[in-house]
Amino acid sequence: MTSSDAGSLAAAPGPVDQQRGNVRFLGRDRPYWRLLARGAVLLMLTLGIYRFWLITDTRRFLWANTEIDGESLEYSGTALEILLGFLVAIAILVPLYIVFFLAALDVGTAGLMTIIAIVALALIGQYAIWRARSYRLTRTVFRGLRFRQTGSGVHYAVCVIFWWAMMAITLGLAYPFAQASLERFKLGHTHYGNLAGQFEGSGFRLLLRGLPLWFAVTAPTLIALSALLTVDWAGIGRIMQRGGTTGDILERIAIQAPEFYGAIGLFVVAIGFAVCAAIILFPAFQTIVMRWWISGIRFPGIDVSSQLRMFDVYKAYLRFIGYLLIFALAMIVVTFVTFALIGSLFGSSAESKFAEMFTILAMVGLYVVSALGLSTIYQATAKLSVWRLTAQSSDLSNASMLDHVTAAGTAGSPLGEGLADALNVGGL
Amino acid sequence: MRTGAARYFDGRTSARHDVTLELAPHALVIRDGAGVIVDQWAYIRLKHLSAPDHIFRIGLRKNPLLARLEITDMELAHEIDVLAPDIDRTGASARRDSRRVIGWASFAAVTLVLSSIYGVPLLADRLAPVVPRGFEQRIGVATNAQIRAMLDKGPAGRPFTCGDAAMEQTGKAAFEKLVRRLETAADLRMPLTVAVVRRAEANAFALPGGYVYVFQGLIDKAETPDELAAVIAHELGHVAHRDGMRAVLQGAGLSFLFGMMLGDFVGGGAVVLAARTILESAYSRNVENAADRFGVQVMLGLGADARALGRFLQRIAGDTPGGFSILLDHPTAKERAAAINAIAPPQSRGVPLLDAAEWAALKRICAGYRI
Repeated sequence: MTSSDAGSLAAAPGPVDQQRGNVRFLGRDRPYWRLLARGAVLLMLTLGIYRFWLITDTRRFLWANTEIDGESLEYSGTALEILLGFLVAIAILVPLYIVFFLAALDVGTAGLMTIIAIVALALIGQYAIWRARSYRLTRTVFRGLRFRQTGSGVHYAVCVIFWWAMMAITLGLAYPFAQASLERFKLGHTHYGNLAGQFEGSGFRLLLRGLPLWFAVTAPTLIALSALLTVDWAGIGRIMQRGGTTGDILERIAIQAPEFYGAIGLFVVAIGFAVCAAIILFPAFQTIVMRWWISGIRFPGIDVSSQLRMFDVYKAYLRFIGYLLIFALAMIVVTFVTFALIGSLFGSSAESKFAEMFTILAMVGLYVVSALGLSTIYQATAKLSVWRLTAQSSDLSNASMLDHVTAAGTAGSPLGEGLADALNVGGL
Repeated sequence: MRTGAARYFDGRTSARHDVTLELAPHALVIRDGAGVIVDQWAYIRLKHLSAPDHIFRIGLRKNPLLARLEITDMELAHEIDVLAPDIDRTGASARRDSRRVIGWASFAAVTLVLSSIYGVPLLADRLAPVVPRGFEQRIGVATNAQIRAMLDKGPAGRPFTCGDAAMEQTGKAAFEKLVRRLETAADLRMPLTVAVVRRAEANAFALPGGYVYVFQGLIDKAETPDELAAVIAHELGHVAHRDGMRAVLQGAGLSFLFGMMLGDFVGGGAVVLAARTILESAYSRNVENAADRFGVQVMLGLGADARALGRFLQRIAGDTPGGFSILLDHPTAKERAAAINAIAPPQSRGVPLLDAAEWAALKRICAGYRI
């Protein structure tokens, strides 16, 4: 029994399975499915303009059903706010793009300008992510007080770019330290009322946990790359230059550079291994990072811990794959029927303009339905389950410390959210 | 007077207060455990906030503090709902708002589609003539460098442009004579750079800034100087109409409309790509017809065979276009030939634009290297 149960007016209905602490998730699958499916249809009808309302609805659902120590979170943001933020972002980005374009013409070296533009956009993107986080925090109300974020987005963006570079240099080994450092920065600037957050997760511990996964993916990749290094590329180039049909070239390679086929074969197999390992290990990776992250969160006097189990996360992903297979089968049937109908109504597309138009429309339509279906299924199964599991397996020690927080801060601007959307770097 | 229990947060601290609510005529009266009035909330200022299903959560509009009341007694919640004008737990007003949003969003989508079909080309047509020449030159230089890098797939050391090797000089002279005659007849009044390049396809195109490329494959397939001249005259039409600049403007407009405004909802990318392809090919079909007409006028002005283009196109294309015709950025050869013949009188063959010796030399303009 936690202290909150005594004071609660009525026990909330809700799942108690998997629950290990005083954080709960009360949301049911069905209403969330409904919300997402309706949203997907409206996204299609409005060419995506509905996304601001859909994002707001999903957040409201997730926040409202997440209960910490007997009290649920409340998302107070509105769709119009982020729509406005988006329009402001467009007004900022369009002139920026034009400046890049003109600069590229002036400099004449499109290559250098492209690199500058990519770095600048990456910085703006990370700045946007920071500001969007600020927006989400200030729209999160808990027990009549809001969360907020201090700190500089520019500082954060520079840190992220630095860590990206480090990760690239170290083949991803720097990832745990990057995460630890960035989370320290993020949570250190996160406040609930007058409580300042902290992050105490150690990058080294995450590295130790994740090392086997890293080896499982990196080792085959390195084998694949070294296989390519054994090939005498200059020789292959000379063989290619002598021209002839593809068959001729392949035959000559077999005679003059027999190691080429072996190397290519090894490369393909090893890369296949790496990709499979990455896919199979992804839920494990997610579990490890999530558990490490939750367990590293601190507020004065309050420790958060997570008991998230890998097995549960795998179950969630398997369910997602099951739904996906059913959906894929349905889509195959629908595709077949659609083209059969078009064929019978208009004849083949070589003959009639109508058949051609409907074929293209059907192709685009089916693609969009597939893509939206896929994303809807993913959000309603895997993503929702991981959210639920993460909540249900978390626990706050000393939750009574939450009883004496005082209010501080005001609502942040929705510009970051809009920038993030315009740059396609939006988070949840 | 109806009363009931609720949980209250005052917005100043996170402390939970178990309170008694009293439904007075104009306001909710909030009393603490000792019966002291803590706060009074007027019904007209109440707003309904998101919460889990078993909780009715309300706050006050225009309140700097985030004070909250949470009610689990659903009968009490219903009575507050009846008294407060802005609270509607049945969802009727939410549905009304949602319908309004869907209506406006759909309207915005239709507007975007219409602007992309009609507005973008119109704007580009208006803007292209007023874009400063210097600016177009710059775009041309940049595009030209990129296109060259993309097209030149030959071995290192082989010049991409034909006509510079010793044995290609006479061909180059003949080609330049032909281009000069066409240029004079076209009255371009802007710099023109025409180059023959080592590519096997029968093709030619114009870029912004007056760059025109003729592929070796086209010269190989041409049977008379007039056929080759007709294709170049068509490309000069693109240069004269500043079609390259127009395409750049259209591309920018479509990028803005589709890429920025629509964002990237899942699967939206395909819609955008399909829409762009169809729209751009639709724009460019009109542009091609205009360039054909220009080419005919140039050929007529030189007293050459204006119908050569249609004939040549049909010969190299055959009559069966592959793939979808609404995706083709050029009208079919048959349609074009018909349109050309409609405006070009059949010619009693006049003097060909080049004599037999010059034409033979031109045919060997790329003979210095194997393609």
